[in-house]
Amino acid sequence: MNGPTQTWRIAGTGAVTSLGTGTAVTFDALCAGRGGPVPLRAFDTSRMRTRHAFEIPGPPREPADRLCQAVAEALGQAGLPADLTDVPVLVGSGLRGLRAAERRWAERGRLDVADLSFGRALRDRFGAVDTHTFGGACSASLYALALAADLLAAGDADTVVAAGVDTITASMYGLLDRAQPQSPREVRPFDRARSGQLLGEGAAAVVLRRGGPARAVLRSVALHCDARHVTAPDVDGLVGTQTRAHEQAGIKASDVDLVHAQGTGSLVNDRAEALALARVFGTGGESPLIISVEAMTGHTSGCSGLLATVIATECLRTGRVPPAVGLSDPIDEATGLRFATGGPVGGHAPVTAQIDAFGFGGVNAVAILGKAL
Amino acid sequence: MTCPSTTVLVAGTGVAIPGVPQGAGLLAAVRPPHPPLPWPPSGRDTRFKDRATRIALVAAEAALAEAGLLKDGSLTVPGTTVGTVVSSNLGNLDTVCRSADAAVRAGPAGLRVVDLPTACSNVVASSVAIRFGLNAVNLTLCNGATSGLDAVGWAVRALRSGRARRMVVVGVEPADPVPLHMVADQARAPGDRLLDGAAALVLETAQAAAGRGRPNSVTVTAYARRRDPAAAVRAVGAGKEAGLWLPPGHRADDGRPPHICAVCDMARTLPPASGALGVLQCVAAAAWLSVTPPPGTPPTALAVSGGAPEDDAAAAVLLSALSSMPRPGLPGPPRPHCEEAPPER
Repeated sequence: MNGPTQTWRIAGTGAVTSLGTGTAVTFDALCAGRGGPVPLRAFDTSRMRTRHAFEIPGPPREPADRLCQAVAEALGQAGLPADLTDVPVLVGSGLRGLRAAERRWAERGRLDVADLSFGRALRDRFGAVDTHTFGGACSASLYALALAADLLAAGDADTVVAAGVDTITASMYGLLDRAQPQSPREVRPFDRARSGQLLGEGAAAVVLRRGGPARAVLRSVALHCDARHVTAPDVDGLVGTQTRAHEQAGIKASDVDLVHAQGTGSLVNDRAEALALARVFGTGGESPLIISVEAMTGHTSGCSGLLATVIATECLRTGRVPPAVGLSDPIDEATGLRFATGGPVGGHAPVTAQIDAFGFGGVNAVAILGKAL
Repeated sequence: MTCPSTTVLVAGTGVAIPGVPQGAGLLAAVRPPHPPLPWPPSGRDTRFKDRATRIALVAAEAALAEAGLLKDGSLTVPGTTVGTVVSSNLGNLDTVCRSADAAVRAGPAGLRVVDLPTACSNVVASSVAIRFGLNAVNLTLCNGATSGLDAVGWAVRALRSGRARRMVVVGVEPADPVPLHMVADQARAPGDRLLDGAAALVLETAQAAAGRGRPNSVTVTAYARRRDPAAAVRAVGAGKEAGLWLPPGHRADDGRPPHICAVCDMARTLPPASGALGVLQCVAAAAWLSVTPPPGTPPTALAVSGGAPEDDAAAAVLLSALSSMPRPGLPGPPRPHCEEAPPER
């Protein structure tokens, strides 16, 4: 029986983003404040108002390939062979293989249903068969991390790979273009001048283990569903999920040193998240340091929660944090919250980090990570 | 708090397939030639919803009602105790592909804002949660041929890890134009190419069921996802025998234990069900197990999905009847609907 303060080892991490391939490359670029949107190449945007996105550079590849890259890196960091025959692999993705389906439909071709999920790619590359594609919202991969921890807690596994991957579909891109009041050319989370979110491609993976060396430890992941609205977040739900994550980790809000916010740069979501952060942590300048990276990576949809986990792991490990690029004039709701300005953290290095991932349908997840001792 | 030994009971089931009656009807699945119209039903609050969501809501409501968890359309237990798992591979394919076409050809003028949530794969699960106020864990499995059984497996895990006390599990696939063109077997008769329906289960911890005086008798015992059907069946501990055998869609003997008493092969009675199959199998299994079997029949039902050459793996779920508990007063399935097993080889 596991007590509420049971922790799990993050033994390895992997990431592929528009900033480059690998955890270190991505984290160094983030800390340097690099990265920004460029004109989208994957499909024709000439009829749309929005033209920019954060695609992974180089020749286009399927999201399954990016996923396998991230998983391979995480296994390498953990000192494990690229053999997942007996290891569960949990993948969260908002848009899974749907871009391939869109391309097939454009030519009125046939679709292999197996191409919509990631099981076949993971079996071919790593021999994995206990594989699960969760088609969630933007919190999908943090949900996958939570369920990975549950497998360890239940004694069903000693090692689990949790991953997130997302591509940019023409449907999601076009519908956001239709729904957002403006057509952003840059992402400015929590800034008064923000004009909306821009999608990004990405993959992230962590190896979660019961024992052994750790780059950081996972203390809890709280899951909640607002059950209020199909797209808009609910502030009470965002507050409640954070509070529950603290309870499950056996900590108080004041123990949190660092928050990796969702921070999509969208008008409604940023306001709701800032209000929720202010309610949980206070606005008297005592809030933890808040980082948000989507000005540099774009909104990587269902991958974003696990990408944030990889980034927070690096923050805890190195004591460095990425600057809140794009934020110069915070919205009223964010007044009194402390945002990262980059460079080493003043005072003591962060020990406890919180990760927020809030998705369509009010599907919320909040994780608590601790520095590996 | 995680408790791996938690007993998980089937509290209610629902079926939303034109012409197929609730629960036990799945064992035979005799469909009338013409489905009732209109299908799927559409109301004021669902007229902008995608087809999969509208069908899923019908099945979920039936299952929640049978579980005694709805009164006047509202939940009778706190929403924080109820989670959701939906399995669907093709659910939002139609909206996604048509919107992609329109976005590229016509830009925003060709798109509807109400389709935005459907661009994301979790639209059915969040819509079910919103309709019934389900605040606990909200999952969507898009996991290929095994997806429905995987959804049942994750519901059991969510209950054992204490993330919910009740889980609504829905398997749904819509016969929308895009999947009918891109995925369905064109060699089959029209109307038989792709399931246009859903099944739902409400699973509940034995403790929560006892707390509201619902001593249900069917339990989900084990779940596993493995390389092939035989390995999955061994992993759920059913390598030797099962009362009811619910084979994977493509080959009725793939993974079959040597000793079985009855067969329910949905590939012979329903159109291809993709991500809904596993939930349909478990609903049929629960109906079969809710009737006292003849002496000598193992009180177990074994469902297997996947394992075809094009699938990445196979999954199995084992359900059992608890003999020590009183049987609920559900109408039993007419046993002759069960196809008798072929003789052992």
